[in-house]
Amino acid sequence: MSGPEAAGSGPAPGGDALKLCFYFGEHDRHGGRYLSEAVLDLFERRRLAAGVLLRGAEGFGAAQLLQTDRLLSLSEDLPLVALAVGEPGAVSATADELRGIADGGLITLERARLAGAEHRPGDEPHEEVKLTVYGGRGARRRGRPAHVDVVDTLHRHGVAGATVLVGVDGVASGRRLRARFFAVNGWVPAMVVAVGERERVAAAVAELEAGGEPPLATLEAVTVLRRDGTALPPSRGFPPAEAGEGEPGDGEWGTKLMVYCSERSEHDGQPLYLELIRRLRAEGAPGATALRGVWGYHGDHAPHGDRLLSLRRHVPIVVTVVDGARASRRWFEAAAEITAETGLVTAERVPRMFTLE
Amino acid sequence: MSAATWIGVALAGGLAALTRFALDAAVSERFAGAFPTGTLAVNLSGAVALGFVAGVALHGAALTIVAGGGLGSYTTFSTWMFESQRLGEAGAARTLWLNIALSLAAGLAAVTFGHWLGGVL
Repeated sequence: MSGPEAAGSGPAPGGDALKLCFYFGEHDRHGGRYLSEAVLDLFERRRLAAGVLLRGAEGFGAAQLLQTDRLLSLSEDLPLVALAVGEPGAVSATADELRGIADGGLITLERARLAGAEHRPGDEPHEEVKLTVYGGRGARRRGRPAHVDVVDTLHRHGVAGATVLVGVDGVASGRRLRARFFAVNGWVPAMVVAVGERERVAAAVAELEAGGEPPLATLEAVTVLRRDGTALPPSRGFPPAEAGEGEPGDGEWGTKLMVYCSERSEHDGQPLYLELIRRLRAEGAPGATALRGVWGYHGDHAPHGDRLLSLRRHVPIVVTVVDGARASRRWFEAAAEITAETGLVTAERVPRMFTLE
Repeated sequence: MSAATWIGVALAGGLAALTRFALDAAVSERFAGAFPTGTLAVNLSGAVALGFVAGVALHGAALTIVAGGGLGSYTTFSTWMFESQRLGEAGAARTLWLNIALSLAAGLAAVTFGHWLGGVL
């Protein structure tokens, strides 16, 4: 999946990058317009390598108010996630500016590496990595939709899970891409998020690079905690050992928990992601966001998406909770109980996070 | 229909839409679970009210304004169907059928109760 003609400057392949995630609400405003508009303008102005605005299916924030697209009266302020990657200096500056314009929400800054010819994921000191491939939904690769090709490649190489998320707005190589109601939408921003053993991810990345124009992709360190009901070795306790180190500079460090499942995954006869959000909210988590993908898989399931003429949806779901490293243990325990049968649970270290009030 | 009735329908409809919105949001936030309680609360209270209006034998322009304008705008069939379809998409089949059966059974009971109440008064 490649972007339009590169205009912006990004970090070199294999180089260090920084990834910013901003969790906020659809109704948040800044300077007489929606905050989401201002955030994407900021990403464009800072010429970040990639930026995507995702709208959540369900979630809550610090105010503990549930928003869900299941109920009409609770769907006007759905959770949004704006994420961007780029050269560390530019991303840091973006985060600082963002803190000035937003009155609420959560900003996280995480380390990422640009996957590229000079740097293979095999060089990572971690057993598992998270790969994110950025591109457009309309892009094609080897004669089929690029996201289907990327997911298929990852699945074939035994990568533990992959989800295709489609954005409503975005930036690629510093240029703005927007999903419009009446448009061909060739460049609706899309991203593939995958988690797996580094060797398997490395092999998949090598194949993706060989099969056409290399996509913009980042790698991050991640710990897989559960996979389809199997708790991974106890040596990988929670929080991940490395999360204990402090980080100099401002902001506090935290842990990002992610649960990958499907709209069809169940716990106790109820949709798994709804149970997870309900439980996290009941226990007082500071926020949680469920994103609905359009294609993907987790564990041993084959890649899936919605089918024509099927009432029930069959798309992947990703639920994210970010909190301080210590507090996150409670949210992990809740997630572990609900994913006793199925689902992929990962933890990532968040070196810097800012809760805006 | 007179101009005054038209204006009455518009005002009653607007007011009822706002009331519905407030009640739906309050109930949904209070019982935020898989079941669409807000819409059920709106439709059942609307059914009681319409039964009551029929029970007190309201007629003429007053009936048009209250029943047609007000309660027509207050209750919502489309949201009931939309939320049922979303439950089906999410795979919550039991909740889907409960939402349909409960709305029908309790809705009939609500109209009957409202009608009785209107008759008694």
